[in-house]
Amino acid sequence: MADVKVKKESSDPVDIENRIKALCQQFPHGITDQVIQNDMPHLEAQQRAMAINRLLSLGQLDLLRNSSGLLYRMKDAQTASKMKGSDNQEKLVYQVIEDAGNKGIWSRDIRYKSNLPLTEINKILKNLESKKLIKAVKSVAASKKKVYMLYNLQPDRSVTGGAWYSDQDFESEFVEVLNQQCFKFLQSKAEAARDSKQNPMVQRNSSFATSHEVWKYICELGISKVDLSMEDIETILNTLIYDGKVEMTIIAAKEGTVGSVDGQMKLYRGVNPIIQPTGLVKAPCGLCPVFDDCHEGGEISPSNCVYMAEWLDF
Amino acid sequence: MTAQEVRLCGLLLQEHFGEVVERIGTHLLRGGAQNLRTIANETNTPLDLVKKSLCVLVQHGACEFGSGRRGPGSPVEYRANCERVLRVLRYPRYIYTAKTLYGDTGELIVEEVLQRGHMTMSNTVKTVADRLTHNMEEGRSMEYSEVVSAFSKLVETHFLQRCPPVAEMGTAASSTTPATPSTPAAPASTAPPTAESNPDCYKLPHVTLIGRGKRRRSSDDSEEQRGGKKAKMEVESCGDEGIYWQVNFERFHQHFRDQAVISAVASKLDQTSSEIVRTMLRMSEVTTTQTAAYTQPLSANEIFRSLPPNYSISRPILDQYLSLLVDDPMEFVGKSGDSGGGMYVVNLQRALANLARATLESVVQERFGSRSARIFRLLLRKRHLEQKQVEDFAMIPAKEAKDMLYTLLSENLVQLQEIPKTPDHAPSRTFYLYTVNQLPTARLLLQHCYKTVANLIERRLFETKENKRLLEKSQRIEAILASLQASGAEPEQLTEVEEMITAPERQQLEALRHHINKLDSTENQVDETVFLLESYIFSTKTK
Repeated sequence: MADVKVKKESSDPVDIENRIKALCQQFPHGITDQVIQNDMPHLEAQQRAMAINRLLSLGQLDLLRNSSGLLYRMKDAQTASKMKGSDNQEKLVYQVIEDAGNKGIWSRDIRYKSNLPLTEINKILKNLESKKLIKAVKSVAASKKKVYMLYNLQPDRSVTGGAWYSDQDFESEFVEVLNQQCFKFLQSKAEAARDSKQNPMVQRNSSFATSHEVWKYICELGISKVDLSMEDIETILNTLIYDGKVEMTIIAAKEGTVGSVDGQMKLYRGVNPIIQPTGLVKAPCGLCPVFDDCHEGGEISPSNCVYMAEWLDF
Repeated sequence: MTAQEVRLCGLLLQEHFGEVVERIGTHLLRGGAQNLRTIANETNTPLDLVKKSLCVLVQHGACEFGSGRRGPGSPVEYRANCERVLRVLRYPRYIYTAKTLYGDTGELIVEEVLQRGHMTMSNTVKTVADRLTHNMEEGRSMEYSEVVSAFSKLVETHFLQRCPPVAEMGTAASSTTPATPSTPAAPASTAPPTAESNPDCYKLPHVTLIGRGKRRRSSDDSEEQRGGKKAKMEVESCGDEGIYWQVNFERFHQHFRDQAVISAVASKLDQTSSEIVRTMLRMSEVTTTQTAAYTQPLSANEIFRSLPPNYSISRPILDQYLSLLVDDPMEFVGKSGDSGGGMYVVNLQRALANLARATLESVVQERFGSRSARIFRLLLRKRHLEQKQVEDFAMIPAKEAKDMLYTLLSENLVQLQEIPKTPDHAPSRTFYLYTVNQLPTARLLLQHCYKTVANLIERRLFETKENKRLLEKSQRIEAILASLQASGAEPEQLTEVEEMITAPERQQLEALRHHINKLDSTENQVDETVFLLESYIFSTKTK
């Protein structure tokens, strides 16, 4: 009896790949292994795997994982062309960096994720940088650490530090200038209120300024090259509170009034200090840097104190 | 008694009472309660000198005596009171306050009582009248009755009080035993009677003092001496023997505290609010105990009635001011009820805490700069913060913030709190939080203040000693000048004598005078800080 051989469709590897590619285009979100199997039931698992691997290495398919299994997705034609000429390792590294989004990823983390040795990683990173596919951004938290991210991405705030950092340097003069401007604004408002000589309730209420008003004033002043949000202004106003020059109250405001956040508004007011500089600092001992070493009969003593001699002759 | 306090007390005793008293006093301060023999032996001073110095100390209230540790039969033990000795530093401030409140008469009365420690009323009146008469023009003299009225005003407002009666030694009921629990045989140990426990402590004795102050002339000196001896023989008893008066320091302190609160309100809010607070404090002057956290509640109606007449504000405006005071974040005034138009209290404890806090902040600001002050205030507000959070909130670059925090830490103004994540406290797995504790920092600054005052006094003594020769010469020249003028010399002789001091010497004398004045006034200024910190620490103790 002759074996009846089931006629197999000639499974040309190229055809298989083309079929898979067509399927991918049909399902732009990606296809699972199951879908390919359903479409070409005659295909053996081995051949399927080989075809998929070829497509992956050619960079035409993207391998993703979701909760139910592996997904294959058509890769963007443009990016596919970019990667031409790069080998597998580079593609892997590129993938890892892309996944990190706009927070960037440190080189050691790349090494963990891709399991490649350090020298290889460095070579690949240099390659990719010269091809202008990735860039290195210095992190503001640790100045020696460099994170890598895709070339055209905007780095996240936590990396660059936001409005107060320009090129990884904390802009103290900028903060100081803003500090003084806000203080002057609040102080002049308080003085205007005091001079108005109305009854005290009105006087006090008119000396308050909401954070929204201060924000508008600063924007109109135009001293800032960067756009500042209301939260930024609030951090500046908080530093004024810690300087003891300003006090804050929170009142409930109707939703929808300008500047209210979650039904509350923050009001700021310039204040005077409650005491004059205290008596201790009027003596040279109050400010003396070697106060603890000073005692009668020692090298440093009240009788031969240089600071006292200068202060007495003043 | 810390070492700094003992040093300062020693300097004050030496300046006001002399070397012997200083030796005895510091020995007592360092050693606690001791009896007569021990003191004499350990300080190597003859017994009668020890007795005299103890008398001086007791007269001024700086030393107390009580029966010994081993029961009523053992020798008397003496204990020195460090606080009382430190009050000597504040005498100028007391005298100045009396002057502002009650004029020259009041000033002299307080000065005399402070100098003598305890005095009878008649004695005080006579001495003050004589002194005032001395400064008046020829032909006028001071009536006793004026001085008596000033004295009675001082007593009415509790600035002067009677000294507590000294109990008999050995009587069971009223012996002033120190509270030693190891003597069950002793009667129920009562605390030494304070001046306040005497119900008559503010009652004026019935004394008839009629007369005028006597002017003391220098030519009548010799006659006066003989006359004085005769006067002493016939002791004119004015009817108030045995009733001695002393200065009520607590009342003066209350007054200073009120002043500090009022000026704080004035600078924070405005003049009218401070007047309202002043009225409230004046109304509760005699009803508030010294350690109270709040004054008695006062209704808005009462406040309105008691406002000074030149401050005519209408009732609704007053209500507005009161509600503004209550809403202020400093919490000087609080509302305790709604009857009578609203019941208001002055938060004394909070006010003192705020004043102490402002003092601490001002010291940090002057010593380390305004950015360190920002960090300090930030930590006071937010209690515990990590290094990174401090940098973020204060908006100071990381390197500088670290530097400032470490400086503050080394000066002990800021403390570090460790919170371990793992039981083995590994540094890489522990949270380190910076924090400021107000009370211990206040105590630290208080000790600094004591040391500063001691340094200033020592410098003053040093400067005087350096220029002793010059000072003596100038004193001699002045004496010669005075005697020449009195005996009617010619102008040439006077100028000749004046020229004995050369110009550079004159300059040196001027500079010396300037230095000493500056040191003196700075001592008073540092004492203001001492007062604020002491009041704050004391107010937190009694809970």
